[in-house]
Amino acid sequence: MTVEPDVLDELARLRARVPRLTGAFAAGTDGRVLAGDTTDAAAAHLAAFGVDVLEAALRLSDAAGQGLAHEFLVHGEGGYVAAYAAGPSAVLTLLAEPRVNVGRLHLEGRRSGARIGELLGGALERLENS
Amino acid sequence: MFTTETALKEAMTAIDGALGAALVDYSSGMALGTLGGNKELDLNVAAAGNTDVVRAKVRTMEMLGLKSEIEDVLITLNDQYHLIRLLKSRNNSGLFLYLALDKEKANLAMARHQLKRIEAELDI
Repeated sequence: MTVEPDVLDELARLRARVPRLTGAFAAGTDGRVLAGDTTDAAAAHLAAFGVDVLEAALRLSDAAGQGLAHEFLVHGEGGYVAAYAAGPSAVLTLLAEPRVNVGRLHLEGRRSGARIGELLGGALERLENS
Repeated sequence: MFTTETALKEAMTAIDGALGAALVDYSSGMALGTLGGNKELDLNVAAAGNTDVVRAKVRTMEMLGLKSEIEDVLITLNDQYHLIRLLKSRNNSGLFLYLALDKEKANLAMARHQLKRIEAELDI
């Protein structure tokens, strides 16, 4: 798929817009990393992990009768991990420092997740039509 | 004593020209409560954005070596005033009250006075 540079662009834009963001990854729900933008190369495997946790969150939300889960936020001693649904087949996982503006992280994370979902959806359509 | 909800309600009813109000935690950028607002004024976006305003000013003062504290921040638009009042009482630190006002209907001096009064009564 030729969509990868577009997704990488979107991740770079997201990193520029949200101060204290230390990593951003997009992964398919199959765990395959589509694109990553981070200062910490060893953190890329977290993207697949993020998919697993969001799927667990989805089951939790569903079991609690709260409908589909769109995102989760984990607050650790050393910072935050957040994940946002990026369309039906991908997940955007973000790493951030403890002093990040969580309000902004959510706003930009949701917007970026939706944008990546559109990019991937468009690529899938082109693939089907070719 | 005001709770978050009653404080925001007081701000919206007692202050002329109030368009929207939010109580915001600027360590996280998240709103503890919002009231008013509309399609053009998303108060959760305002909470996150104005957190950056407050943090930038706090950092600037540190760099300037100023030992003083911020009471409030006023941003004047063509048609609105945006007032940010940092809360100082022992239980409320790390929070600010955000108020958007219609410039035509608002009395700025009175609005600042009322916000100060609401802050004094607020206990979260």
